[in-house]
Amino acid sequence: MGITSLRIAMALVASVAFLGVSGCSKKSVQSGGDTQSSQQGKTAKSESTEGSKSGVGNFPDTSMQSGGGSGLRGLDKDPSEERVGNSLGAGPGGSGVGAGSLLAKADTSETAARQMDEIRAEQTASVAAGLRDVFFGYDSSTISDDQRQALNRDADWMRSNPSAQVKVEGHCDERGTTAYNLVLGEKRAKAVRNYLVELGIGANRLSVVSYGKERPSCLEHGESCYQQNRRGHLVVKTGK
Amino acid sequence: MNQRTFIGVILCGLCALAGVVGAADVFLEATRPDFQKIPLGVISIENNGGPDWLGGRLEEVLKKDVKRSLVFELMDLPSLGIKVRDVGNGAANGSKAIFKQAAENGVSVLVWGKAGLKKGEKEDDVNMEGFVYDSGSDEVVGGKRYAGSPSVVRLMAHRFADELVFRYTGEPGIARTKIAYVSAHGAARELFVMDYDGYDARQLTADGFLNLMPRWSPDRRFLVFTAYRDRNTQDIDMIELATGKRWTLVSYGGLNITPALSPDGNFLAFASSHEGNSELYRLDTRTKAVQRLTTNPAGELSPTWSPTGRELAFVSDRGGGPQVFLMSSDGSNVRRLTFEGDYNAAPAWSPRGNWIVYVCRTPRKEYKLCLISPDGQKRMQLTTGGGIDDSPSWSPDGRHLVFSSTADGKSHIYMIDADGKDLERLTFEGTHNSAPTWSPAS
Repeated sequence: MGITSLRIAMALVASVAFLGVSGCSKKSVQSGGDTQSSQQGKTAKSESTEGSKSGVGNFPDTSMQSGGGSGLRGLDKDPSEERVGNSLGAGPGGSGVGAGSLLAKADTSETAARQMDEIRAEQTASVAAGLRDVFFGYDSSTISDDQRQALNRDADWMRSNPSAQVKVEGHCDERGTTAYNLVLGEKRAKAVRNYLVELGIGANRLSVVSYGKERPSCLEHGESCYQQNRRGHLVVKTGK
Repeated sequence: MNQRTFIGVILCGLCALAGVVGAADVFLEATRPDFQKIPLGVISIENNGGPDWLGGRLEEVLKKDVKRSLVFELMDLPSLGIKVRDVGNGAANGSKAIFKQAAENGVSVLVWGKAGLKKGEKEDDVNMEGFVYDSGSDEVVGGKRYAGSPSVVRLMAHRFADELVFRYTGEPGIARTKIAYVSAHGAARELFVMDYDGYDARQLTADGFLNLMPRWSPDRRFLVFTAYRDRNTQDIDMIELATGKRWTLVSYGGLNITPALSPDGNFLAFASSHEGNSELYRLDTRTKAVQRLTTNPAGELSPTWSPTGRELAFVSDRGGGPQVFLMSSDGSNVRRLTFEGDYNAAPAWSPRGNWIVYVCRTPRKEYKLCLISPDGQKRMQLTTGGGIDDSPSWSPDGRHLVFSSTADGKSHIYMIDADGKDLERLTFEGTHNSAPTWSPAS
């Protein structure tokens, strides 16, 4: 074996090393298999909403950029000075904007003030209308017979006020997860809407929204409070 | 050994190496039960021309970081008879003895530092130096020098702690990570972000209504979350942390909740009820194309990506109550993962891939944290007590969890080790803090 075979051997070593490295970095960028599998999904699933882009906005690229690094430079026997910045979401040295700029800007607190005004207007209109809430059992989105009485009266009011739009809010008690309670809250709101539609109220006059366990009417921990929070809350819409 | 076999050995070594690096779920296993923590002692961070509190503050933050790293065993040097004050600059001041003494007491790594403050025209300037010694030698292994405003003193200690973890494990450490969460302001819920140890909380939104369930982008620049437009419609929004700039990603009618970006940031999985009941969808963040992943009369929600991005765990109530299911990220190969109990929800897949944490309802109707392996073979309850635990999220090193609990009455944010030890409360202000989510490591 002479120098030539050694060269071949070294080239082999180098190419294997290269393959290993490139294969690995590709994997981390592409999260292997996704491209292929999404195409399978498209053909396999007729209910795919591929192409229907309404409801999806434009937003910046969230793809992981390569070479982000850890921002750590390692220990050094003769370290040079690193400046430490106080910023969010920026690189290691911190080139982003500091805390102050993130706090309540004028326009956002105007949004908050407008929302407060609108919530108050809705509450006033709903109290004046005498709309009644519907209460639910633990884990349940079924409307019991006695709760239907409240809805029968709400339907009466809606018949005598044919131009009124009503929003049904679904609420939950604090038990269970934030996420699942949003689903449960929607089931409750839809149960209320469906019953009102059964009573002859036009579906176009009713909207539903779930607040899960995020807007409780009672803040204590205990069943007496929980049962007040498991509700379908009817609100007269005053704005748009 | 002739040359041919020698080359063969080299090639096989490279194959093996490539095999290990290519396997996506292989991580440095410092979560193994037999992992021996590295005994580390902090001699002191001395004041070098700064205010009285400075050295002590840095030392306190550094020690807590070292302890929380779970890579090091923080050794109490005074209890080992090792003098830690007025040591001066190590060997230069003739205190070689303490290095020997520490090594004899099994302390592998010693840390010493000093900090000062210079008066500036506009703002004072803090500087910190930290030095590392190991193996009983008085020779510095390496050090760091930091400078910055007095507001970043804690961050200096965090950076130094992460350098220590990096030096001895090659991992980036978690001391510079952040936790985003939701905090009540009156009846509104706004997004906040704080350091991983609960300090330096900053408000991100001020809409005056509900902003829920934030999740980080893999590059830590953005949070995706559910916001309510005019209180009537839910959108999935994104906010840039550095600027506060916002975008609406998804605005179908109905529920648009539980967004989660894939580990490469190329896909957003989320739940939406715009086609009837809550189903899972996958948005390609580059082409903006949306693919429906589930078709079921029951509710589906809370997708969480495996670290490879190939699978999703999620919640479905197709059996009545919510349970955790798994599927491939294209919606195929759905199978149920949890069978114990009638309420299992809010799953989060460990960044190491080996566990999925979720909220489990116990036979006593308590909502606690449980862990299950993705093959369903191992399951355990992690937290106990009467508090309602919710929204668990993993630290990027997979050694800790952050979650909300009503254990102390109001909902606050807590950290716990993945083995159920060292419960630590992180928030003390406010009336309701919830939905914590741990940032990736930087």
